[in-house]
Amino acid sequence: MLCTEVLDALEPIAAGELTPDDRIAAHLASCPHCAAALEDARRLEQILQARPMPRAPAQFTSRTMARVRRARWRTEQFLDLGFNVTLGLVLLAILGSVWLVLHRSGLVAVSNDAVALLGTGLVTLARRVAPTVPLYAGATALLVTALGIWWWAERELT
Amino acid sequence: MQVVNERELVERCRLGDERAFEELVDRFKDLVFGLIARTVQDRSRAEDLAQDVFLRIHRGLPYFRGEARLSTWIYRIVANVCAQDQAPREAMVSLDDDRMSGRSMPSVSDRRFSDLELRDRLEKAIVRLPANYRLLIAAHYLDGARYEELAEALQLPLGTVKTQLYRAKQQLRRMLETELK
Ligand SMILES: [Zn+2]
Repeated sequence: MLCTEVLDALEPIAAGELTPDDRIAAHLASCPHCAAALEDARRLEQILQARPMPRAPAQFTSRTMARVRRARWRTEQFLDLGFNVTLGLVLLAILGSVWLVLHRSGLVAVSNDAVALLGTGLVTLARRVAPTVPLYAGATALLVTALGIWWWAERELT
Repeated sequence: MQVVNERELVERCRLGDERAFEELVDRFKDLVFGLIARTVQDRSRAEDLAQDVFLRIHRGLPYFRGEARLSTWIYRIVANVCAQDQAPREAMVSLDDDRMSGRSMPSVSDRRFSDLELRDRLEKAIVRLPANYRLLIAAHYLDGARYEELAEALQLPLGTVKTQLYRAKQQLRRMLETELK
């Protein structure tokens, strides 16, 4: 049996995880080099097992908790910022779409001509407003979505 | 460690109970710090990294579903933190090169090292191991982690864990050849 084969088996033997078979035992009995290496392996196993266990420093928990709190605070700040920016954008979009609706439907003019319109009757108003219904629906949907996001974000954060 | 208490603790942590997390830190600090301090020699660096581990635990707890044991999950986080840390540091390891390379062989009378000296040599030799071997040695001899648990934590086949541990010890034995006599 070759020394290299035996040398590869020394660690499991030293750890008590492998019982040397007859061939290995015979080699170990006759080869002083391998026998000495096994002794080394056993000694190493011993000092590894006796290796002192480093203990955490006294203030470890409090220092760790301080870092955890700082990290949490930073996350909250970040979420707050993100939430506010999102909300701002959504409001901007709503205002934009409302402006668009008023502009396209000519309702700005309507409010100016309100008195006159009352005179010409509701039929005219309905006729003028009817084509802009999809736009109103769009704006409403946007508003509902924005409120939904707001509600969801509030729920997530609390 | 009682499994029931562990689950309860995790649940309380998930609900944002700060006291519960503090208890978790207290419970696992020696395991986490011990593992890291055995792979990183600088104590203050080890503390920083151990704190990093707990920050990750804090962030990750909402996603910890409890299929694995908490300690196994923590081992895995330690392994990741150590792996990320070791890359730039590998070159900074200071070595007692004279002894290690055997350029100045100790005389026969010097060969009997006291246990303390031997332990010191051992630590220096361990630092020279590849990072994954270092962690394996640290974890295996700490807290008596079973091979199966190590394999699960490191996401390696059981056979690989065993082989790597044997190889790590073989390398150590060769590095310490003169001192072990
Ligand atoms: Zn031999």
